Parts: sequence; C-alpha cells; structure tokens
Amino acid sequence: MRTLVLDVAEWGGHRAGQHLDVRLTAEDGYQAQRSYSIASPPGDLLEITVERLQDGEVSPYLVDDVGDGDAFEVRGPIGGYFVWDGDEPEPVLLVAGGSGVVPLMAMARHRARVGSTAPMRLLYSSRTWEDVIYREELGTLGVEVVHTLTREQPPGWSGYARRIDDDLLREVAFPAAEGPRVYVCGSTRFVDAAADGLVRLGYDPRSIRTERFGATG
Amino acid sequence: MTVEERVLDGNAVGGLLLELFGVELTAAPCVCGACGAREEIARLDVYVDCPGVVIRCRHCAQVMITIVRGPERTWVDLRGTSMMEL
Repeated sequence: MRTLVLDVAEWGGHRAGQHLDVRLTAEDGYQAQRSYSIASPPGDLLEITVERLQDGEVSPYLVDDVGDGDAFEVRGPIGGYFVWDGDEPEPVLLVAGGSGVVPLMAMARHRARVGSTAPMRLLYSSRTWEDVIYREELGTLGVEVVHTLTREQPPGWSGYARRIDDDLLREVAFPAAEGPRVYVCGSTRFVDAAADGLVRLGYDPRSIRTERFGATG
Repeated sequence: MTVEERVLDGNAVGGLLLELFGVELTAAPCVCGACGAREEIARLDVYVDCPGVVIRCRHCAQVMITIVRGPERTWVDLRGTSMMEL
C-alpha cells in the first residue's frame, strides 16, 4: 500500500469520491491502464492510495518503482455519480470493503475540511487490523468509525469480527427513516451484499450509491 | 472469480466515456431499450474483460452499450439504449 502525491498540469480540481485513470506505456508501445480513487479532499494536493496487487501490471510499478519526479499519464477527474460535495445536510453512511475505503476517505476528509455538520458514519470491513488503511487518521476526522475484521482480530478485540450481514447493518446503519445518503465501495461481491442488505433494511435503492472495484492491478 | 464477481459498474468506464464523448457521463441517466428502466450509467452492469466493453441493464440484463476500440477508431453500439439524458 502506498499513497502517491501527483502534480498534474492543468488539473482542474476534483470532487470527493472521484477517481482517475493511470496509463503506463512500455517502450514497445504496450499500454496498461487502471483506475485509482482520489484519496485527498477537494482543494488539497492530489493523492491516490494504491494497493499492490500480485501479478498486477500497474500497481507494482506505482507501489515499488515510481519515485519523486517520475512522470506517467493521468486521465481525470472522473465521475459525477459517486461523489459527495459536503453541502447536503442528510446523514452519510460510508461502507468500505478493503481498499474501497479510499474514495470514502476523500469524503471524510472533505467533511472535516469544510466543517460539515452532516453526521457521517463509516463501516469499514478489513481482513486484519494491519490491513486497515489510514488507521490513525480515521480517528481524528470526527467521523464515527465502526470496524469489522473478517479474518483475524488482535488480542482483546471487542469489535465486529465477521463479514457484513443484515444484523450488522441493522446495528450500525442510520435508521432508513432519517433519509441517509449511502456510499458503498469495495469488491463486487462486497458492494452487492452491503447494498442488498441495506435495501432489506428499508433503504431506498436510489439513496445507495455504489462503486465496484475490479481486482485487476 | 465467477462472472458475477467480475462484473463492474459504470464508474469503471467513466474515463473511457469522458475520452470518447468529452463529457462526464457516469451520472447521465439512460433508458433501457428492452425493459424501459432508467438508471444512471454508474448504476449499470459493466463487463470489461471481454473484447471491448459491454454495458448491460441491471434489471433485465439487456446489452445497452458496447464499445470496441481499435488502434485508429472506436465503435460504439447503442442499439440497446432508447434514451440518454445529458
């Protein structure tokens, strides 16, 4: 896992939740392109957090090889649906699976930055405590964070220790009657499970914005 | 992974659509030509690990958009979409 700060010429700024595409071109002309969510809030330096995927074509370069001053091709910002602008008063429920937390982190940082009073709660599913991205910072943003660790828990762990299910969602999610906005990001299986569970709790499907991450790196 | 686990959504092709059409389209509603469901492109099912990109209705699985890129040009098939709101 690595966070990169990008300096993009003529970058017009971004919205919390958007992503960008990175395109690498080999000397023989072969191109590989991947999408990465923007982790920084609007108005801040442009940051992406990249998870290194085994056998990936792009992420190993971005995590292991790229250095200060290196250049690569970037396209974006991308997305006008999976975004939160911070001026809506409704409670916001963020649901993250693994590295799906990255665009949600931009929203949490943005909320702190603009002083939004919209209640924000993050339900964050990770395999182990070591896999939790932004561990320290998450506690400083004024966002209520609920972790679940699905594979291994530290000694004395009193939090959730299972995959997200309907009971867990019922305990953590705002009541549907409060009209919360929801952002779910993670693997396809994670996103569909969380979104379907929230609909069973009475959430309006239109209020649930989802982004499925591919496992190509 | 199964096909169901590999399907993405319209967010994944936002960059491609931006490059082809010059505007942000993931928030643009589209009406399915088969069942009439109206959803933003971000809410459609997207298959990227086939030759080209296939975008399907999340309700009836109708193929709404296919995009095939060649070295010089790109083919966009919109037969399965009855309306796109920009």
